[in-house]
Amino acid sequence: MGQAHIIRSNTFRWALAVAGVFAVFVIVLFGFIYWQADQYLIARSDKMIGSQLNFIAGLPSERRLGAINDHLKQDSRGVQYAGLFGADGRKIAGNLERFPPDLQVNDSVQSISVERTLPTGRETHVIRAIARHMPNGDALVIGREVDETREISHVVAQALALGLLPALCLCLLAGAWLSMRAQKRVEEVNQRVQRIIAGDLRERLPHRDVDEPFSRLTVIVNGMLDEMETMIHALAGVGNDIAHDLRTPLTRARLALERGRTNATTLEQLQTVVDKAIANIDQSLAIITALLRLAEIENSRRSAAFGTVSLHEMLREVCDIYEPIAENKSIDLRVGVQQRLSVRGDRDLLFEAVANLVDNAIKFTPEGGRVDIELIRGDNETTVRVTDTGPGINDQEREAVLRRFYRSDKIRSAPGVGLGLNLVAAIVKLHGFRLAIHPGPGGRLEVICPDQQSG
Amino acid sequence: MIPRNSGSSTGRGANALAAAENEPMTKVLLIEDDSETAEEITAELADRGFEVEWSASGIEGLDKARSSRPDAMIVDRLLPGIDGLTVIEALRKDQVRTPVLVLSALGAVDDRVRGLRMGGDDYLTKPFALVELVARVEALLRRPAESRETTLRVGPLELDLIERTAKRGDRVIDLLPREFRLLEYMMQRSDQLLTRAMLLEEVWKYKFVPATNLVDVHMGRLRHKVDGPDESPMIHNVRGAGFILRTGP
Repeated sequence: MGQAHIIRSNTFRWALAVAGVFAVFVIVLFGFIYWQADQYLIARSDKMIGSQLNFIAGLPSERRLGAINDHLKQDSRGVQYAGLFGADGRKIAGNLERFPPDLQVNDSVQSISVERTLPTGRETHVIRAIARHMPNGDALVIGREVDETREISHVVAQALALGLLPALCLCLLAGAWLSMRAQKRVEEVNQRVQRIIAGDLRERLPHRDVDEPFSRLTVIVNGMLDEMETMIHALAGVGNDIAHDLRTPLTRARLALERGRTNATTLEQLQTVVDKAIANIDQSLAIITALLRLAEIENSRRSAAFGTVSLHEMLREVCDIYEPIAENKSIDLRVGVQQRLSVRGDRDLLFEAVANLVDNAIKFTPEGGRVDIELIRGDNETTVRVTDTGPGINDQEREAVLRRFYRSDKIRSAPGVGLGLNLVAAIVKLHGFRLAIHPGPGGRLEVICPDQQSG
Repeated sequence: MIPRNSGSSTGRGANALAAAENEPMTKVLLIEDDSETAEEITAELADRGFEVEWSASGIEGLDKARSSRPDAMIVDRLLPGIDGLTVIEALRKDQVRTPVLVLSALGAVDDRVRGLRMGGDDYLTKPFALVELVARVEALLRRPAESRETTLRVGPLELDLIERTAKRGDRVIDLLPREFRLLEYMMQRSDQLLTRAMLLEEVWKYKFVPATNLVDVHMGRLRHKVDGPDESPMIHNVRGAGFILRTGP
């Protein structure tokens, strides 16, 4: 990050622009002050020469000469002008050699230029002057140099230089500092982001505990990163699970085929091997089917096909289908229906959900156990409850069980792909229902269907 | 074997397995763009005594369907040019009623595809087992004709659809309603391979594949009741494929 970088930065440019605007403002202000002061000084000197004229004109003519000479004598700075001229234009007294040609004798103050003889030579000066005819025909001229305003402009310019330059420098410094600070923070953020891109998902943006926009922004971005980290971990977990569940049957199929190719000597042996391989490949395909089905349900907007589903009939049907399977395992499968209850939904999907719950319950209940399917009417909701006497689902597993592909380690040996509950969760979500998993011992899962708002 | 009602005139495909020399072979039109899949299907169907014609595109397939009048068609849903379902719709517009089996990718089963079963056609998702494909084609060719018979008979087995009773010879078989439904379905399709998926879809109206081997458990119970200990078995398990109800061994 070089010097050029700072100058090109936006912050610095803004500082520069502000400094520019500030300078223009100050110059205009000083100009105004100068103009005002100038006006004031001219007005004051005009008043002064007016009263001097009145004073001298008011004297008797014999005393005027003395008064003029006194007046000039008192002027140590040499800014006063006075002159008394005869009716023929001849100089009677004063420091003006001749009557100024462009001066009107009309009793009003004017700006004129006069020549003045000094020991160093003749000079032309711009002065304010006033002239009046005396009763005896003479013309009296009183003038005053207004070069003082030039001095004032010097002072103003000096003040400007003294005030404005440091202010501008300060502006530039502040701009550069702010720009550098911003660049530093951006660079810091950039480094962290690069680390995140490189795969360090735990990295976060730096933030100070102050309420300023940049800090708030980093807090927002950090929140987003937290969410993304969780999601990526969840996704990676799913990926691992899928890979594992797919690899296992495929590995078995491969081994079977490899061994069969070398060892099989009869057609029967080869067929056995191939059957085994096909069974394993079918299992992999079943996983893919289940996954796609899950995606299909999750993405579907099938509410258009919703109708009234009578749950009591559906539960009896599910029970009817699973009864022989339960019987084979000596499991007592029962349906308890208090009353006829219906919900709005997709019958096929709801059937699949309940069938999956029952399937799971039977699968994980040891022989001689019991599985109950109940239909319960609660406050503004209808609940389908499936309870069993199996191990149940403990607290840690409850969350995980709804993740795709999770299968409790205890029951890894049980048949099935392990997507059953995920499918149930997806179907339940699609309907706007709730899936409640109660902690063990004993499995208790509920699909809670809140009553639809009428209308 | 006692013939099921009077459906023999339309059941030409029933002889496909036998591939009788004097009968014309059952003709199947396959419209499938993947040549390797098509080759496997063609070989399998030829082994089973079908005459198979293959088209790799929808337009060509449509022409062949119109000109050579096959007995059944197998159509891939996704075809270059025209979509498989469009081909079928075009044929139906021309009053061609040939039964069709649509092959659809797993994720692409929508309402249009589901609707096929309502119209007497069928669909199968890829990947599928060849046995399943053949069983479905045969099922399409041997759709049970509409019948007013109230009693189904297969060998010694008799099913009274009004009284809801079943007999094997003189022995009365006590069936639960679900077992009765299963047996009825099987007797309407005797001598025909019924896959697990077909039974799930047709008998239990299942739209999904359950984790447990539901069909086997139910079939086991039914077989226990139908085939007595001293009787020759009628419900046969075809390994890796499904079940057949028949009188012979």
